[in-house]
Amino acid sequence: MGTLAQQLINGISLGSVYALIAVGYSLVYSILLFSNFAHGGFLVIGGYICYYTLTALGNNIWVAGGLSLLGAGIAAVLTERIAYKPIRERTNITLYLLIASLGMSIVIENIFVIVAGGRFRALPPVIPTNPVHLFGLTTTSAFDLLSLVVAFVFLTALQLFIVKSKWGLAIRAAAFDLKTAGLMGINVNMLISIVFFVAGVLAAVGGIFLSVRYTLYPQLGGITIKAFVAAVVGGLGSLPGAVVGSLILGLAEMLTAGFISSQLRDLVVFSLLVITLLVKPTGLFGKKPTEKV
Amino acid sequence: MVMAVLVFGASAAMAQDTIKIGYLAALTGDWAAYGQTELKSAQLAAEEINTRGGVLGKKLEIVPYDFRTRAEDAVNAVRRMIEQDKVLAIIGANGSGINIATAPVVNRAGVSQIGTVSTNPLVTVDNNGKVRPYSFRICFTDPYQGTVLAYLAAKEMGKKKAAILYDVGNEYSQGLREFFMKYFKEYGGQTVSDQGFRGGVDVDFRAQLTEIRNSGADVLVLPNMGKEMALIIKQARELGMKDLLIIGGDGYAEFMWDIAGEAMEGTYWVNHVAPEDPAMQPFFAAYKKKYNDECKEFVNGVLAYDSVYWLADAIGRAGKADRKAIRDALESTTNLHLHHAVLTVDPTDHNPKDKDAVILECKDGKARFFKKIRPQQ
Amino acid sequence: MGYIGGIIILLCINAIAVMGVSLLTGFTGIFTLGHAAYMALGAYTAGILTVEHGVHWFLAIMAGGLLAMIVAYLIGIPTLKLMGDYYAIASIGLVESIRLILENWQSVTRGARGYPGIEGFTTLPVAVAFFFVLAIIMVNLINSRYGRAFKACRDDYLAASLLGYNTARYRVLSLAVSGFYCGVAGALLAGFMSFIQPVMFDMMKSTELTSMVVFGGLGSLSGTLLASVIITLVTELFRPISQYRMLIYGGVLVAIMVLRPEGIMGSKELWNLRRKR
Repeated sequence: MGTLAQQLINGISLGSVYALIAVGYSLVYSILLFSNFAHGGFLVIGGYICYYTLTALGNNIWVAGGLSLLGAGIAAVLTERIAYKPIRERTNITLYLLIASLGMSIVIENIFVIVAGGRFRALPPVIPTNPVHLFGLTTTSAFDLLSLVVAFVFLTALQLFIVKSKWGLAIRAAAFDLKTAGLMGINVNMLISIVFFVAGVLAAVGGIFLSVRYTLYPQLGGITIKAFVAAVVGGLGSLPGAVVGSLILGLAEMLTAGFISSQLRDLVVFSLLVITLLVKPTGLFGKKPTEKV
Repeated sequence: MVMAVLVFGASAAMAQDTIKIGYLAALTGDWAAYGQTELKSAQLAAEEINTRGGVLGKKLEIVPYDFRTRAEDAVNAVRRMIEQDKVLAIIGANGSGINIATAPVVNRAGVSQIGTVSTNPLVTVDNNGKVRPYSFRICFTDPYQGTVLAYLAAKEMGKKKAAILYDVGNEYSQGLREFFMKYFKEYGGQTVSDQGFRGGVDVDFRAQLTEIRNSGADVLVLPNMGKEMALIIKQARELGMKDLLIIGGDGYAEFMWDIAGEAMEGTYWVNHVAPEDPAMQPFFAAYKKKYNDECKEFVNGVLAYDSVYWLADAIGRAGKADRKAIRDALESTTNLHLHHAVLTVDPTDHNPKDKDAVILECKDGKARFFKKIRPQQ
Repeated sequence: MGYIGGIIILLCINAIAVMGVSLLTGFTGIFTLGHAAYMALGAYTAGILTVEHGVHWFLAIMAGGLLAMIVAYLIGIPTLKLMGDYYAIASIGLVESIRLILENWQSVTRGARGYPGIEGFTTLPVAVAFFFVLAIIMVNLINSRYGRAFKACRDDYLAASLLGYNTARYRVLSLAVSGFYCGVAGALLAGFMSFIQPVMFDMMKSTELTSMVVFGGLGSLSGTLLASVIITLVTELFRPISQYRMLIYGGVLVAIMVLRPEGIMGSKELWNLRRKR
């Protein structure tokens, strides 16, 4: 029983980090209807800004965190302006956006390879990682609990933003139909920039947690492919779906690794993806793409 | 296309008045720390040798290639070194899997390759037990290292139940695990948990560690490379596994402290060299002076450095800049006094004979010399 | 074999794989990020057959292509129902799954450590011969009625089905043929490197293949071949400074999409250029 509880906690903790990344990703998809492969890049940017700030300005996690969130958000907006805006203004074909995003993810990763070098960097231990015993059942680390709480806080904040604010309303409208939203007077370019900013911020939070837990290196963004699977399982374009999908994925990974075999862990992840696409491509909560004749 | 041919052709025709040695190093990718240190150490050695007059009256020239911690890049790089740069011999890589992949290429082409820390037996000997004429190494092998690890766990530390967490994608890791398990059993121990992970991909080991915790093992054996081992150690302590003894092989590197911090205290490592070894101090000092950086991956540094000296000596003994003669000289090396050890090569399997293993203990922020072991095989 | 010879062989191998992807993406309009999986299947089949069963390399290569084709066909039937981006996502899942299976099936494939000791059967004449034969077949296929059906599926899927084309069947056919090409390319690669590892056939490789097609121009076979030559050569030339190479590669992808998304040739062929419309 102890092991099961432990693996469940492991799974939820991992899932919460995936959730931060998957939500930002799904948000972009819901508006622009394309998979932004560069999302992992924002994660890495967040991680590195946090690292450099911590080493340069001392161990104040709030300052470093704030700066890295800001930095990643701005980087996301810039990415959109440089690579995606020119394409989407010209054509409807999302394939081009997809490939451009692939290119951007390679560019971002390799900028860090060149500038920061291949060495792994450990962030100074500003987030506590001591073991915490839960109800005598199992032990987890303070870090896991913290990441759960932080993920929860940010996701709730996002939800409030979308439901209660004016721009949130605009985003919901745009998610339904971008063109019409534009016709109704919404400044589409501003909207898209805001969406990317938010996505960048969320990715940065995920990035900071991932780098503290797993060390920071340029290829850290590769983990987004798992978040991506989570978003699809939950339903591309649906934010609650992204969260639910992430938790399912985190649990599936940990339970497989713990009880079956650790090598099969990733296989389960991708099988989940393929099964979802075959059985219900729109995922758990996604919207059906309509074909207009 | 024509331009490319001209450029390639020109670079090959230039400079046959240096002794060219290819260096296969992982300058990027997961092994970047090891590779960069190796290359710098090798270049330091070459510089020293050149200041003293070079080899056969010519200057030693190191031609480096980055194999990006990927075997296919290593195979391509080796081909290019041999045919474009026309190197006389190759030093590197530090990984067994890499050298096993390049072995067919170098043996077909007749160019010697010296592995620095490539410890798997298949590096110098093929699947049928026949020695690969052009494959060499300067380090001891995994059967030996496995024995040492098993001896350390069972006899020195008195542990009876071992858990292993190994990298399924790494020849070195697989081999070391096999040999450990075999000898641990012979010493009266029992492997109670055998878990795998995918190196270079997996960063979260909590699932496996939870299983290991449950198995009641009293020692955890890590036959892997630095980054993953550091993460494993860190996560194990975070899961509250404080009393578990953790030991590992020569994938140890000082950068692990950056990742795992205090969690490293109390771990033990089988290795080729101790950082306090007096014979190596001049090298460490020279390295620090030239590069303004501690030689953190000291094993790689020392072995790369001595590989260059070994090769230079062999070229001198061969008497000419000829690939086959150099190979023969390498194979017949006997009682060569290098900086970290005395080297004698066994011609039947190209493995160094009678090399001591050094056990390091992690204490007070550094790996320190604990003991020298040479168990009977 | 010579270094230059080796480059030409690599060019031929990449060209064969990329022709396969071009058929699927450029001519049938199905965007895929998973074709490295078919190369992997071809490579391992050829490797295992020649090393462990003493099969002659020509048969082994054909077997590799055939296996890839069959797997592509079987996978295609359920997954090609997916529209738009969804198929691309599924293809990522597939390539990763196949790679993971290869990594874990230790008894057959030796797992993630890789499979060494393959005989070097891919010599210069072999590679060039395969390339020419397969290229001629591809050109003919595209200009045949099958080709027209593929293009109809690409240009307007709905209209095509309304016009009576059995679009599902043609899409699956296109996938199967592209699987064959990639399988053969993979088998040739195994015979060239003498060593294969599952990690050689990851998403990065798939991305390279698809990028070459887009770079060359969707719907242009000559453009695709041109692109594959350029990219392979640049990769080789930049090998010593590989981190800059990747940076430039990513940058070029973005630049092309922003500045000239139709690629080098658009949808025209080199050999049709001279004709005035």
